Amino acid sequence: MAVLEGAVTYANLLTLLALGLTLTYITTSVPNFAQGSFAVFSSYIAYFVYQSTKITPYFSIPFAVFFGGFIGVVTYIIVLKPLIKKEASILILMIATLAWDLILLGFIGIFSESVSKLLGTYASKFIFPYYLDYKLFGIQGIFFSSTLTVILSLAILFFLLYKTKFGIAMRASMENPSLAEIMGIDVEKTRLFSWFLSGAFAGLAGALLPFKQEIVQATGQIIIVSIFAASIVGGLSTLLGAVVGGYLVGLSESLITFWLSKFFGVSILVYSKAVSLIILVATLLYIPQGLASINWRRIVWHLKH
Amino acid sequence: MAFEALISSILLWFGIYTILSLSLNIEYGYGGIPNFGKALAVLVGAFTTGAIVNRILIAIYSVKAETITQASGFMKSTVDQIIASNPLYGFAILLLALLLSAFFGAIIGALYILPSAKLESDYLAITLLAIAEIMFMVTYYDTSLIGGYYGAPVPDILAFVPGEYREWFFVALVMFFAFATYLFVERTLNTPYGRVLRAMREDPTALQFAGKDVMWLRIKTLAFSSAIASMTGVLYSYYTGNVVGIVNLFARVNWTFFPFLMVLLGGMSNNRGVLAGVFSFVVIWRLIDGYKHEIAEFFHLPFDVNWLQYIIFGFLMIAILYYRPEGIIREKPIETKPMVELKTRRLEKV
Repeated sequence: MAVLEGAVTYANLLTLLALGLTLTYITTSVPNFAQGSFAVFSSYIAYFVYQSTKITPYFSIPFAVFFGGFIGVVTYIIVLKPLIKKEASILILMIATLAWDLILLGFIGIFSESVSKLLGTYASKFIFPYYLDYKLFGIQGIFFSSTLTVILSLAILFFLLYKTKFGIAMRASMENPSLAEIMGIDVEKTRLFSWFLSGAFAGLAGALLPFKQEIVQATGQIIIVSIFAASIVGGLSTLLGAVVGGYLVGLSESLITFWLSKFFGVSILVYSKAVSLIILVATLLYIPQGLASINWRRIVWHLKH
Repeated sequence: MAFEALISSILLWFGIYTILSLSLNIEYGYGGIPNFGKALAVLVGAFTTGAIVNRILIAIYSVKAETITQASGFMKSTVDQIIASNPLYGFAILLLALLLSAFFGAIIGALYILPSAKLESDYLAITLLAIAEIMFMVTYYDTSLIGGYYGAPVPDILAFVPGEYREWFFVALVMFFAFATYLFVERTLNTPYGRVLRAMREDPTALQFAGKDVMWLRIKTLAFSSAIASMTGVLYSYYTGNVVGIVNLFARVNWTFFPFLMVLLGGMSNNRGVLAGVFSFVVIWRLIDGYKHEIAEFFHLPFDVNWLQYIIFGFLMIAILYYRPEGIIREKPIETKPMVELKTRRLEKV
């Protein structure tokens, strides 16, 4: 049970991260290698807010969300927009996000070590221990919090995209940017907003991640492979795909390795990320457009006949 | 003394990164293959030294210990003594490691590029990065392979050299290999092979129409370049005396990002440009690293200057991409014999 609980929590957070990655991929067509560092930087912000207020780690969520959104916006304005204007190729843009990831790693290091000095605690490595979390029906609160977070985020996102005028503009510029521009939509504005949202989702995930695992400066570099796996499995071009992929990769990473550990012993647990790699490569080779591209109705029809 | 150490470290890294960047230049500069998992080839080198050559030596001297880290430590002390009295033995170990790593590097490189049969550009880059990252994670967290985060000591192949000269001996050794690689790569790329690679970068479909098997070309290229790159893993492991310098969580920065930075800084698809890029980068990098305590004290920085380095090099990369994507030295057409003849004929006419 505890395994399933942890797996769902992890899958929830991965879904948030994959959602952000897919969102910016749809609007800007850049696979963002810095998505993991967006989250981890926000984790450090959350830790700093918690350490200085000592209320509860949940109190720091809004700070982390706004900080994440801020980094997202900065990424687009300083790094990507100038290069896109110069019509840089997609590989050049990817190298730029790799460089930006390194810059963020530098800032994370500086921030964490300065905070250590400032607060007199060791802040380079940390978790939110279980006693900081609430308990409900004997289950750790993070399980409910992260689930609720995903539901709320999805509800807000769908309300925004389908019920507001700005959302319609945003969907239009996702579908066909040049046509949307002709119709008088400010595509730059919608792009910028998508980067804010993407960063905010990462910040949200980052604020909750320390409940689940230890955060070190390089955690973003480690988690990015799982984020890509989740986004690609679902199909990089649909938001629904990110949700499906997030749960598929998140759950299988924990559950498959747990199941394997019954046969091969606990040493197999370090191979959990290899599961997401295998899923990633298999998807790319057999269904490169992701699960969302499969025509399920046709498969069902074939099965029936 | 400090100055001397600075010079030797600049030369050492210049040698190591020359080999690695030349290899990346074959793939990315000439062939246009976005190998975002460059570090994997370096890991193959470290793996060969730490996991394979070490195990061979452990078996020869029948060392008994619980873990590979311990066993390697015991083996090292025995082997170091032998090397101290017999230098040839040290060179033999180095040569064995280099040959084995070139062999494994070629095989792994060929297998690793297979997804490119179906993928291209961003999807390919993500896949290659993911494969390399996972391999690093596995070797880092699974301590039974090459010691993981405990590391695995490797024999000092220069144990016969007195301590104070070892650094310079190693610098000479690395520079020798770097120079040999440069000559070799320069020769190999000034052939029809080099021109086909450039054609693949510009338009793989057109090349296919010209009757070339692009997939086979990519496999050959990755096997060739990974064999070269794996040498750096071997040399660096033997230099530091442990594999932890490579098997760690910052591998992507040191063994993938920095080579990309150097190749783009110097100028893609041109080996002299790569040398210029490597040299400029290494000088800046070692100067910051050599004086990091002074810098931290001078500015009263409450953190390690390494973090500042990441920011500086990240911005340098973005600045290059924005202001000078062609690098310090621009790409030139390859001078084939007919082209040279044509030029001289034109000059004669004038």
